[in-house]
Amino acid sequence: MTRMGLLGSLAVTYPAAALAELRLTKAEQALADHPAEWMQESVWKTLAQVQEVLFPAGEDIPGAADIGASIYLHNAIENPNADGDDKDFIFRGVGWLDGLTQQRHKKSFLQLMPQQQEEIIQAIVKSRAGRNWVSMLLTYILEALLTDPVYGGNKNGVGWQWLEHQPGYPAPAADKTWDQLLQRRYKA
Amino acid sequence: MKDYDVCIIGSGAGGGPVALTLAKAGYSVVVLEKGPWFDEKDFYKDELACCRRSVYTPKLSEEQHVIEDTDSEGNWVGEATSDSGWDFWNGNCVGGSSNLMSGFFYRLKPVDFRLLSEFGPIEGANVVDWPISYEELEPYYTMVEKEVGISGRFTDHPYAEPRSSKDFPYPPTQEHPISRQFDKTCDDMGLHSLPTPRAILSRAKGDRRSCEYSGFCGSYGCSSGAKGSSRAALLGQAVATQHCEIKPLCKVYKLSSDAKGKVVSADYYDAKGEQQSIKAKLFVVACQAIETSRLLLSSTGPKHLHGLANNSGQVGKNLLFSAGGSGNGDFKYADMDEQAADAMKTRGPFVNRGLQDWYFIDDKAMGGRVKGGTVDFLLRHPNALSKAVSTKWDGDDLVWGRGLQKKLKSVFTDSQTLRYEIFCDWLPTDDCFVSLDNTVKDKWGSPVAKVRIGYHEHDLKIGNYINERCSNVFKKMGATNIRSNVSGAPPQNLVAGGCRFGHDAKTSVLNADCRAHDVENLYVTDGSFMPTGGSVPYTWTIYANAFRVADRIKDVLSGTRG
Repeated sequence: MTRMGLLGSLAVTYPAAALAELRLTKAEQALADHPAEWMQESVWKTLAQVQEVLFPAGEDIPGAADIGASIYLHNAIENPNADGDDKDFIFRGVGWLDGLTQQRHKKSFLQLMPQQQEEIIQAIVKSRAGRNWVSMLLTYILEALLTDPVYGGNKNGVGWQWLEHQPGYPAPAADKTWDQLLQRRYKA
Repeated sequence: MKDYDVCIIGSGAGGGPVALTLAKAGYSVVVLEKGPWFDEKDFYKDELACCRRSVYTPKLSEEQHVIEDTDSEGNWVGEATSDSGWDFWNGNCVGGSSNLMSGFFYRLKPVDFRLLSEFGPIEGANVVDWPISYEELEPYYTMVEKEVGISGRFTDHPYAEPRSSKDFPYPPTQEHPISRQFDKTCDDMGLHSLPTPRAILSRAKGDRRSCEYSGFCGSYGCSSGAKGSSRAALLGQAVATQHCEIKPLCKVYKLSSDAKGKVVSADYYDAKGEQQSIKAKLFVVACQAIETSRLLLSSTGPKHLHGLANNSGQVGKNLLFSAGGSGNGDFKYADMDEQAADAMKTRGPFVNRGLQDWYFIDDKAMGGRVKGGTVDFLLRHPNALSKAVSTKWDGDDLVWGRGLQKKLKSVFTDSQTLRYEIFCDWLPTDDCFVSLDNTVKDKWGSPVAKVRIGYHEHDLKIGNYINERCSNVFKKMGATNIRSNVSGAPPQNLVAGGCRFGHDAKTSVLNADCRAHDVENLYVTDGSFMPTGGSVPYTWTIYANAFRVADRIKDVLSGTRG
């Protein structure tokens, strides 16, 4: 019943102090000092920034980086069991975003001021494809916020704490994630 | 390969009782299940696995249905679910969708067995009486209470069906504080608040533990074994007799029949995609209604030119869903004192309440006495993602940034949501049936089921009548933001019919024993047999009928029944 105990402690209102603490964890620092190779790629840097615009950190609100939104997205779309269409679509969308940004500002999305980044997203959702792209990114952000930390987002349950959500139990084991269970549909 | 006495296709609520009964009697039984074999150690409260990825159901790109609905001009138009994303699968794994049910269990009532005699014909609907009575099924409803494990507390009320035992073998599961508030409101309104019987153990039974009250029940596999799935409650015992083999990842594509019309083998693809065949004396089909009809229609033979057991042309006809609708109401924490708010936030125990006060409706406005339905009350499912993802839309516009975060915070932390679900008869009509699609094929190259999903307007009339009254209960309870929906859209998880049983071989597929009229060694034991649905969820009736048919099959195998 230790899991129950943990749930109890999660069920309190999310304090800003805890978020500050979370932002300074050693793991976070280590990741910041030695980020994974894919994080250096410009497409992922752009995606991480778009996620921050879509889900910004606030004093007592965990933002995209706090919840590990880009790590979650990377895990999700690089998963060989995932729907490959999502990855293609998301990467193509970064191309449109860059194109529009260059056209309007002669700069990359990352070089824009926050207000300009917001305006670019507002422009993008005016087209059907652009809206679908942002919608898909939002879904992955919400998954990062609220799925079990085993998938790489929702660090230390930060999303659950913020929304006072009590997760169910038992929580998924590392060797029983959805993609591993899915493979059992194909193998004797 | 070994010859078996009985080969069962499908391991859900229709297959499990037959496997257990016949294996216990010493007959050799093989169960072919197209999905994998998960057990308690594989079930976690993981919303991705249960509800957002295809773990328990096939990928729609590999296996789909074609759904036929009317377009704006009233023409029937088919669309593959691989295009629409409208998933009609309900749990393809050992134990079937009973692994994923919420387990609110209601019996049918005696009148449900003779709707035509009781209420007369309805134009445009194929209402008939059943070839058996409630009294014949009653001992098996009682058997299910014990074998599957149903918890509850019998409460007499004007529409209570007769029962042969005094009360349920397991006391009710723990109940949410809101249940008392519901009881009081119903008392004030002169309604009969009923404890909902549940196929969930409130104390241990053999290897199965009691419910552990995580609060995430429906849509999830049960890690404690408390949920009375066919797998947890029946198949484990069947295998323990050493007379029952379960073969997962075996997809039966055809039942081959001989020159006399008897089934000789079940032909299937194994996990490697290789064709295999199993011989048995007797075959039992229980793949859930749509796939059962599809398998029979696909299984042509020398005596079955239009599909197995289909010399009447009735296979696939009179498919049933469940009519009705649902409603939600919010109870805002800000309107309560702290103690009441804390109680309202309780997660885990069940609401466990239902109403059958409108099971029959006698109202001039409805044209006299008509059949109504059952209402179940429950908390909104605590799934976080389904709640969160809906917040990203404001009509057709996307919401992000602070606006999104504000909505999320409100949806998650402002209120508890109570919900009702209305179950009414889905009238059988000529516009709701299963056939084979001419063009769309699954990954093995077999034609997929095409499902026409027409409904009868009468269903909406009944649904709306009950909905209005439920909405009043919510108002009286002090709920806010009450929203409800009654529509003719089929709930794909509540499906039956397609192989109705009856005395007349011209108008039904199965006889009263659920044996095919024109195939002496073929039985159907899932919900397909039901000629009318009744106004409760189907699973208890499917379990009970499968136990009943299993007894008939046992008598046939032992030579005491022809």
